[in-house]
Amino acid sequence: MRRTVCLLLFVLLLLTTSVGMAGTGTGSSPATAPVIRIADASTDTSDSDNDSVSDSAVPQLTQVRWAPHIDAVTGASSLRIVFDVSGPVAVDGNELYSPTPRIVVNVRGAGAGKLDKSTKFDGAIVDRLAINAVNDNKCQIVVEMPLMVDDSDYKVFTLKRDKSTGKPYRIVVDINRPIPPANFNFTPGLRGKVIAIDPGHGGTDPGAIGLARTQEKTVTLAISLKVKDLLERAGATVLMTRETDRDVFGPSASDVDELKARTTVANLGKADLFLCIHANSFVNRTAGGTETFYYQKTTYDRLLARCIQDNVIANDGLQNRGITATNFYVNKHTVMPASLLEVAYLSNPDEENLLNDSMFEQKVAAGVVQGLDQFFTRAAGGDR
Amino acid sequence: MLKQNKPLFAAMIIAVFMLAIIITGCDAPASPSATTVDPQQTTASAVAAAGTMHVTVYYATADAMNLSPEVHVVPKTTHPAEDAVALLLQDPQSHDLVRVFPEGTKLRGISIKDNIAYVDFNDKFAKNSGEGSNTEMLIVASVVDTLTEFADIQKVQILVEGKNVETLSHMDISEPLSRSEKIIKKHL
Repeated sequence: MRRTVCLLLFVLLLLTTSVGMAGTGTGSSPATAPVIRIADASTDTSDSDNDSVSDSAVPQLTQVRWAPHIDAVTGASSLRIVFDVSGPVAVDGNELYSPTPRIVVNVRGAGAGKLDKSTKFDGAIVDRLAINAVNDNKCQIVVEMPLMVDDSDYKVFTLKRDKSTGKPYRIVVDINRPIPPANFNFTPGLRGKVIAIDPGHGGTDPGAIGLARTQEKTVTLAISLKVKDLLERAGATVLMTRETDRDVFGPSASDVDELKARTTVANLGKADLFLCIHANSFVNRTAGGTETFYYQKTTYDRLLARCIQDNVIANDGLQNRGITATNFYVNKHTVMPASLLEVAYLSNPDEENLLNDSMFEQKVAAGVVQGLDQFFTRAAGGDR
Repeated sequence: MLKQNKPLFAAMIIAVFMLAIIITGCDAPASPSATTVDPQQTTASAVAAAGTMHVTVYYATADAMNLSPEVHVVPKTTHPAEDAVALLLQDPQSHDLVRVFPEGTKLRGISIKDNIAYVDFNDKFAKNSGEGSNTEMLIVASVVDTLTEFADIQKVQILVEGKNVETLSHMDISEPLSRSEKIIKKHL
């Protein structure tokens, strides 16, 4: 008898627990979240009512909305355009370069509905969006752009109806902001080039501090001065944001004033390239290695980071952390191709020792200069 | 790992565990662990489980390269976004993950307007110029990716002491930011 009561209790318990979990899991589960994520606010729940009525009729496009997006890590801009549809559809997208750049999306299974018209955009990513009726269950979406995109710069896909959030069937068009055609004419060799070198931190800002009290501002300056020396011997002109232990904007300035003072040295000095030299740090002391950061504002920023990283790694023998696109102020606000090199981790005791070693610093500096030289050769040869 | 993305599986484990306790309680009332189990109490804890919510929080991987999700089961409240950021400011459960926020960072509040979450930190948040490029990148990404797990949040604007700021050290945080998928590593 007691056993029966216990088993009944268990079944009850299992049901209550499962229902509770299923109910609270919605919306926060990483498996479903990206699928239901759309660009814009307006969640029109009334659409789901229309759906049940119009499911038997030919589906139509019912609503369009769009929003610009900036990736939290890379800072890359994109535009997401979302179309609500009253039923499931099939889509394909093609980019056309001529006579003007455009993406054409063919929609099969839905008519244009009331959206059969054209809308003017601001021209940052899109100039005009046109929706053209083809017949009752086919339409065409045309996205006109100021600049060419290639097939990796846009995505067209559909999302299913999501009853739990009241979202209807959707067509999504994601378009990355195109990089403007380069206004540069690079030639091979370092002779005659103007290179801006920015030793990270300085003065009232020590930057990272290692276990043995090594300050980032000291090692970034030491490596930068070695880079300067090698570049000048190769016939380049070097613009240093600082050559001593000092703040560039002024003592205890805000982060942005200090960073802007550094990009200004490069921008006013009409440098061909900008390179910021740093030492890294992390809460976990086992983290280590060399990494180069860039922001793809020109068609050359990624190539510069690649050349710097490959050549420094070849010389310093540390873990290769690769090149990483990030939304860093100095890389974004310089007008020329730019990179930020994190040589090694001051928080890692082995790497702190290396950063204090003049021979190691010289090897890193030589790698940087080889990387800059390789950049000019490859850029002149048409690499991007 | 058990706690990642498998709420139903977790529920089953809990239920099986409770069944074990109940059966042990029925068969061996003399057992010391079983004497403390009261059927009334068991029912009460099942009700408490129904009053919980799952919150997905993104912590940094120990190599400073990526973010990885950790699902926390916490009491249900009317302010889950604040609860999620509060978890970010604490240490993760997994030893493979690390907290990247500077010591002393406090959440002042979150408001949501037009699907943009305005998340406001105290000034300790911005005083970390010595923490390295990866830390800055991971802090920003962890806030944005954790908050955009919520269906009503599409973008995140980070504020410090109630004000817009241009940068967190090097990272540009002057505008509302959208989710970064590329930095997420789902399985360690």
